[in-house]
Amino acid sequence: MAPTTYLQAIGAGLREEMRRDERVFVMGEDVGAFGGAFKVTDGLVDEFGPARVRDTPIAEAAIVGTAVGAAIAGLRPVCEMQFADFVACGFDQLVNVAGKMHYRLGLAVPLVVRLPVGGGFSGGPFHSQNPEAWFMHAPGLKVVAPSTPADARGLLLSAIRDPNPVVFLEHKHLYRRVKEELPEVASPTPMTARIARAGDDLTIVAYGAMVHAALEAAEALGADGDGASVEVLDLRSLVPLDEEAILASVRKTSKVLVVDEANATCAAGAQVAALVADRAFEDLDGPVRRIATPDIPIPFSPPLEQAALPSASTIAEAARELLDY
Amino acid sequence: MPHMGTSVVEGTIIGWSKQVGDHVDLDETLCEVTTDKVDTECPSPAAGVLAEILVDVGETVDVGTVVARIEVEGGVATPATPAGPVAPARAEAAAPASNGAAAANGNGAAGPRVSPVVARMAAVHDLDLAQIPGTGRGGRVTKKDVLAFLDRAPEPEERPLHSESPYRPDDAPPAPAPSPPRDDLGGVPQPLSRIRQAIGRAMLASQLTTATCHTVVECDMSRVENRRRDLGLTALPLVSAAVVETLRGFGQLNATLDGTTITTYERVHLGIAVSLGDDGLIVPVIHDAQDLSPQGLGTRIKDLARRARAGQLVPDDVQGATFTITNPGAFGATIATPIINAPQVAILDLEAIIRRPVVITDDDNNESIAIRPMVNLVLGWDHRAIDGVYAAQFLTALRRRLEAAG
Repeated sequence: MAPTTYLQAIGAGLREEMRRDERVFVMGEDVGAFGGAFKVTDGLVDEFGPARVRDTPIAEAAIVGTAVGAAIAGLRPVCEMQFADFVACGFDQLVNVAGKMHYRLGLAVPLVVRLPVGGGFSGGPFHSQNPEAWFMHAPGLKVVAPSTPADARGLLLSAIRDPNPVVFLEHKHLYRRVKEELPEVASPTPMTARIARAGDDLTIVAYGAMVHAALEAAEALGADGDGASVEVLDLRSLVPLDEEAILASVRKTSKVLVVDEANATCAAGAQVAALVADRAFEDLDGPVRRIATPDIPIPFSPPLEQAALPSASTIAEAARELLDY
Repeated sequence: MPHMGTSVVEGTIIGWSKQVGDHVDLDETLCEVTTDKVDTECPSPAAGVLAEILVDVGETVDVGTVVARIEVEGGVATPATPAGPVAPARAEAAAPASNGAAAANGNGAAGPRVSPVVARMAAVHDLDLAQIPGTGRGGRVTKKDVLAFLDRAPEPEERPLHSESPYRPDDAPPAPAPSPPRDDLGGVPQPLSRIRQAIGRAMLASQLTTATCHTVVECDMSRVENRRRDLGLTALPLVSAAVVETLRGFGQLNATLDGTTITTYERVHLGIAVSLGDDGLIVPVIHDAQDLSPQGLGTRIKDLARRARAGQLVPDDVQGATFTITNPGAFGATIATPIINAPQVAILDLEAIIRRPVVITDDDNNESIAIRPMVNLVLGWDHRAIDGVYAAQFLTALRRRLEAAG
């Protein structure tokens, strides 16, 4: 079997779940006949028909609101925001309605909102954001962010089967860049962290596309003269956050660098840093360091965008400094 | 001349580790300094080139005296340099205290940085971080350094501060030293070491000024022995705790005598004599010993003894004692006549604990002979300050406390 791209893995996951459970349906802008802006849902309408692959108006509040109603009524909607940036229009339905439904009325809202996130391709300020922190801050929502094809498929399965509303962050930059052989039979990926690369001297905590930048940096550091042994922890799930995995890694390495592609303030990495400071203080052999995108809109200009986003080289530079500390 | 402690006002340069023109790194040893209390190395307060040595070896100068000048690299361009006619800039090397206790670390904070994990590991393994070479930024001791240190050096066996029996197997004969020059009779004349000279001066001064007497009491250490085993301690911390308690009722012994002025203390600053082997003897002080449990005293004694043997005491560690305990019993002696560490007025000598037959009396006044771990508690005391009855009363009170311990 040919290696499956991250994008194909998401499509495969949708297809498998739709075959497995007829309550599962997808809705979004151009997801049907056009197959989705990025072709994630390509071909689904042919197999499952327009009732389960529903094209919607350009109205995110309506998409999410409809999904909330369908989920309460017993279906398992998977909505696609064409770009994660546009979820702001559906924010109220997701944060206030879906997120608090169980708390207010005891009703489960098993819906998934797929958010194509991230920059790195000159998408500019409206098409490059990483809005995970908005949803991490809202009780009642789960937030997952796969970095590999296998986890993209597995976490999508977990998200669809979860009784809670789940925000599924899929990184556009990874869509066609990462690929791997997938097992024939999909199994759900637990919403826990994964050691993407084991090491003893330093832990880099990352998720999404930054896992790959961190792995590249870790390789470079291992090839340095002193051959540092760098661990890369792929969070996979931001809510719930796998605190024990983070603490276990930090207890082993005693140094931690947290990487976010999101804007720095109140980002997922800030939560990780706070956790480490709070619960692993006596295991630290250096300051908790963070790398994130500065608090600016993502620039169109390729060199400016490159300067703004964390990269393997900026991660390696910060890691070297921390290793030398 | 660095500030080395509250009552140290001068120091003597005993060696320069760098010569004029040598490069010196921040915190690299610049010179060695001796005071009446300890010898210590002075780390350089700046990186640069040693431009001038202002105090020669053997000279004694006041604390704060400039002893050398260091030409700082790139000093001309350093904006922090005060404007002046002289370029390149010069840093005055009033070097900071030993052990990095007040060493500049580049960010203006005092002391080398210790990370939380290193602090914790040092506490868990009872490590002295000054013993561990640091490879981190600015010589910081990293977790890796601690791990490497632990890997390399299994914790040295603590030298016993106490022994059950005076009998010891003979030491292995020392390796023959290269033969030094001999005089006509085959003797080998050598200058006394500085520490021996210092000890000699202090002991002679005590003999010349105090009216030293000695009083001995025998003490049954059965309960102390049991308790120390329970606590995993040597006998010394338990005896120290008992001495501190007993001194509460004998204020005239927790005192210093200077001419016609006697100063008594409620707080007990307990000197503990530590043998440095052939290198002499030093008496580090546990300040405010009354605040410590036997376990706390044990920890402090171990720490002071280790630092004493590693040559890492700072002057404050060895001054201000109000009462001293000496403990040569570990080496088998059963009685001695210790010299008072003047201006203190008394010294307690804890001799070897030896199992001996003793007559014991039970509650019904029946007498029998039993085998008991016995020790001689010898008090050296200054007849100018107290009389023999007081000394005997103190020792008896101490004995009762020790025999009741448990």
